[in-house]
Formats: sequence, C-alpha cells, structure tokens
Amino acid sequence: NSSDILLTVILLSLLLDGSCYCIFMCESRKSSIPAVQCVRTIKTSTWWDEHLTEDNPWPRHEWDEKSRRVGLVAVKLGMMPVWTKSGERHVVTMLQVQDCHVIKHIPKEEYNGRTAALIIGAKNSPPFYRTEESLEMFRNAGVPPKQKVTTFHVTDNAVIKPGTPLYAAHFRPGQYVDVTAKTIGKGFQGVMKRWGFSGQPASHGQTKTHRRPGSLGPGGDPAKVFKGKKMPGKMGNVFDTAFGLKVWRVNTKANILYINGSVPGHRNCLVKVRDTILPHRLEKNRNPPFPTFFADGDEELPEDLYDENMFQFGEPIPG
Amino acid sequence: MAVSSRRAGGVVGSVRLLRSLQHQDGRLFSTSVARHTAGSEGQPPKFVPPSKPVIIDKAKSQASLRQFLSPEFIPPRQRTNPVKFAMERKDMIQRRKILNIPEFYVGSVLEVTMLDPHAASKTNRFVGICIQRSGKGLGATFTLRNIVDGQGVEICYELYSPRMKHIEVLKLEKRLDDNLFYLRDALPEYSTFDFDMKPVHLSPTQDVPVNQIKVRMKPRPWSKRWERPKFNVQGIRFDQCLTPEQMEHAQKWAEPWRQYDMLKEYDTSSVEEKILQEVQAELNK
Repeated sequence: NSSDILLTVILLSLLLDGSCYCIFMCESRKSSIPAVQCVRTIKTSTWWDEHLTEDNPWPRHEWDEKSRRVGLVAVKLGMMPVWTKSGERHVVTMLQVQDCHVIKHIPKEEYNGRTAALIIGAKNSPPFYRTEESLEMFRNAGVPPKQKVTTFHVTDNAVIKPGTPLYAAHFRPGQYVDVTAKTIGKGFQGVMKRWGFSGQPASHGQTKTHRRPGSLGPGGDPAKVFKGKKMPGKMGNVFDTAFGLKVWRVNTKANILYINGSVPGHRNCLVKVRDTILPHRLEKNRNPPFPTFFADGDEELPEDLYDENMFQFGEPIPG
Repeated sequence: MAVSSRRAGGVVGSVRLLRSLQHQDGRLFSTSVARHTAGSEGQPPKFVPPSKPVIIDKAKSQASLRQFLSPEFIPPRQRTNPVKFAMERKDMIQRRKILNIPEFYVGSVLEVTMLDPHAASKTNRFVGICIQRSGKGLGATFTLRNIVDGQGVEICYELYSPRMKHIEVLKLEKRLDDNLFYLRDALPEYSTFDFDMKPVHLSPTQDVPVNQIKVRMKPRPWSKRWERPKFNVQGIRFDQCLTPEQMEHAQKWAEPWRQYDMLKEYDTSSVEEKILQEVQAELNK
C-alpha cells in the first residue's frame, strides 16, 4: 500500500587486488532518488606482486638508450621563482600529478605496427554525462572515470599493467621534459598579434591602414594567393608543445613537479609531460625510473628531491 | 611558557632558591646553584650541564604583543589551487627560520646587507626608506630609496633571495600612503638618510606610529600628476604647490563610482587570521 523504497540489490564485487565496488540499487515508486550509487575503495595501489612473479605478462625490463617510457598528465598550478646556488633567479611552473593511472595497453600490431601505446588517464571526474564505452574502459582497468585520456608512444620494454598509478617521482630533478597543452584561446585576432606582422606607421599620411597585412604576395605571375598565407583568424586553443624544459624539483608527498620556464595553457589546465626528444638533452635523461616509479617498491624517497644546482631554503647563510 | 624541565638529579632542592631569587619585575632567572650533583665520595662531582636560561617577562603578556602578518603571505584573489600557496608558504617559512625578516612597513627606514661576489668585502650594505612593498609569495620585493652624494638611488630587493644576508629596521613607522613614489618629486631632504643611522627602538607592545608628515615638493612638472584622485596621495602639501583652481581641475579625473564597486572588495581578515596562526605555529616549532 504505502510506497516504500525497496532496496533491491546490493552488489559487492571484490576484485583480485582487494579493491571493492559497492553498488546500491534502489527502486522507488513515487520519490525520485538517484537509482545507482557507487562507492569504491582501493586496498592496494600497485600490482607489485604481479610484477614479481616469474612468468607474468608484465615483466620489468632495464632501461636502454633506445627505450621510450610513458609520460604523465598533470595539472598546471602556477609559477614561482627559484634561485641557483650562485644566486641566479629562474622561474618555474608547478605541475601537480593528480590521480594519474594507466588505463590500457595497445600492442604494437594493433596500434601502428611500429610502437606500442599506453593510454593514460588523469584527474578523477564524476561518472555522469559519459558514454558506456568510456565507462567500460575505466571499469576494465579498475580506475574511476578520468577527465583527460591521452596516449603515449612507448617501446615494448616499457609497458606497464593497466591500473598502475603514476606518480611525480617518475621524473627526477635534472632531467629534461617536453610539455604539451592547449594554449589559452585568444579568439579572432588580427595579423599583428597572431603572426607578429609589423603593420604600418601611425602617422605620416597613412589612410585607414595601421594594423593591416599589406601585400598578399607576388603579382601577375602566380596570379593567386598561396595556400597557408598568414591572415587574421582564431588564435590559441590549440595544442602546443614546449621542448627541453628542465625539472628543478620534485615533491613526492604532494606529487608536484617544478619545471623551468613557462608552459602552454591556463592555470588548472591538464598538461601532458614526457621525456624530451631533443637530441642534445638525451644525455641528461639517462637511467630514469623504468618503466615507472612504483610507490610500494623498495625505493625510499625523501619528501623533496632537488636539483644539485638549486638553492634550498633550509640552507644556512654563508659568511 | 614553562620553565625548562627539571631533572631528577639534585635540582629539587633549588626550587626554594629560585623563588627567593625572583626579580621585582617578575623576571625569573634560572641559577647554576644546583648544577653539580653530589657524586659518590672520593670522586669529583659529576658535571651536569646548566639548564637554558629562560626569561619570563611578566610585564608584557603574550596577548599585548603586536601581531603582524607580512603582506606577501596573503594570497591574491585568483582561481589558483590553494595547494600552490601552501607549498610556497612552506618555503617562505623555511627561509624565515634561517634569515630573520623583521616587521616593516612602507615608510620605515631599513638597512640591508646583501652577499656580493664581486665586492672586496663580499657584502653590499644599503640604508634607505621603504617606498614600496609588492609581490606575493616567494617573489615578494621591497624598494629602498636614499640620496647618495646628491644622487637619488632606489634599489629593489627580493625578500627571499639567497643573496640576502641581513635585514634590520632602523626606524619602524608607517606613513599616510601605501607607496611613496612621490618622494622622487619631493625635496631631497625627505629622502636622505644617514648610512650610519642608529636604530630607533620601538617596544613590541606599542602600536606602530603613523608619521603624519606632508612633504614639500619640487616645482612642477612632476613625474606623475600626484594631485589626481587616482593616486590618492595624502602625504603632500598641495596647498604650497598648487592653487585651488588646479586642485579642482584635478578632480575632473575623479571616479566617484569606484567606491561602490563590490568586485573590488577583498576582505582578507579571515584568511589573514588563519595564515597568521599557521605561520606563527611553524616558526615557533
């Protein structure tokens, strides 16, 4: 008679690693309560025991010159100054690695025939307004839904099991990285701001022409404007990469990377960080944590890792 | 604040001695009377190091001390993750444990010593009046102005630079304005300070005095039109350099609607209290 809320099904799924999903399903006739609520706990963060077994499908290899390891996705926090031991001042961007997980491994044959790929997700986001396919991908990996999902090209010896979390200690101070992000959108901009043209003089007889592109090319011989001519248009909001940025400091507790210089994107945007491909910086990237840094491994890292040239604020005043 | 911990040794008997030695001000001195414990006969008494002297000044209670939070700790009102400000604050506190950065305001006279690898004595000393404090976080700066050999000199120092060796406040006071850029157009006597000036002591319980001085200016033109309301300068004697008609003409650039702009209001009192407690707790650790 009375419209009672029937608690129909409580599913408790226990996965191999000890993490569990609790799904409560309520059916109500009159009141409108959300039908599905998911509560999730993670018991262990890495499948460390899997990596140690003899014939496991995810063996750990040693780093060599040709190997390419996975990158991270981080959130741009802001910028701050940093000083070297000799007193020179540089600026760094702080990037925080929030909930970065490996979601999927695509082997060489399926991806492009040459390199394998790892799909990485970063920054947990709510499970609403998402397609079933994307939710299925996260469910298979055992991770909560992520805001940004990207692919990294990876050599076969650097493959990681899906579901492994990635931390900021994956990068070490003194190494160089490339950072990719979507630049701040500037909207429709003229040719002086967009392409750096010099425009025309402000006075001395110029009639209504101060910021225009001027000539569009040679005259009667081609009798056309070449494709790709720099003209006004939408500027920004495209992916751009900053190459060869030095890592000054890594905070292992809050998972923050301090990276030299500026990085494309606005504050709180998601950026892709990977080891640099510049040939002259490769010598600084030797012997990194390979394939990644495992939190429940043997390595005990201090809270802050500093580059050898960087001035640390706890140092006493000389003289 | 508690007196240093009592050792079980031979210190118990000294309690009465300590009480009798109390100063009339209420300052408590610890003594070295009970330092040597009675060792066994024949052997020299075992040396017990003295407890640290603790001075409790009952005249000034903790509550009456001036509370000051340096303005670079207050985060700007932005859409930045507070984690970033927390990390910066940790670094700033770490630096403050090594180098003592005193309380000062715009208008105080400071003496700054910096490390200079190219100088003969490896240091660089400058005395001047603080005309500006700007920047938030680790990049906070302050500018000192002085007139050396008839030439006005302004030096902008970074508070947290590793080259800073020593900062001392020679005269702690406030002025009527937030920045004193108009001193560039004022008579040189207002910006000259002796390099060997003796520090003027101010008690830690007293309020910081506000110097109500109004400076006299050099003849116009000035570097900026200081009479205009956007600068809101209180510390210039306009009646000696401008006619009332000129003052009225300057009021044409007044923007009386700005005082009603709610988006410009930034009430930092609650944020300041929290950060002040956090900073004091960390520094006292």
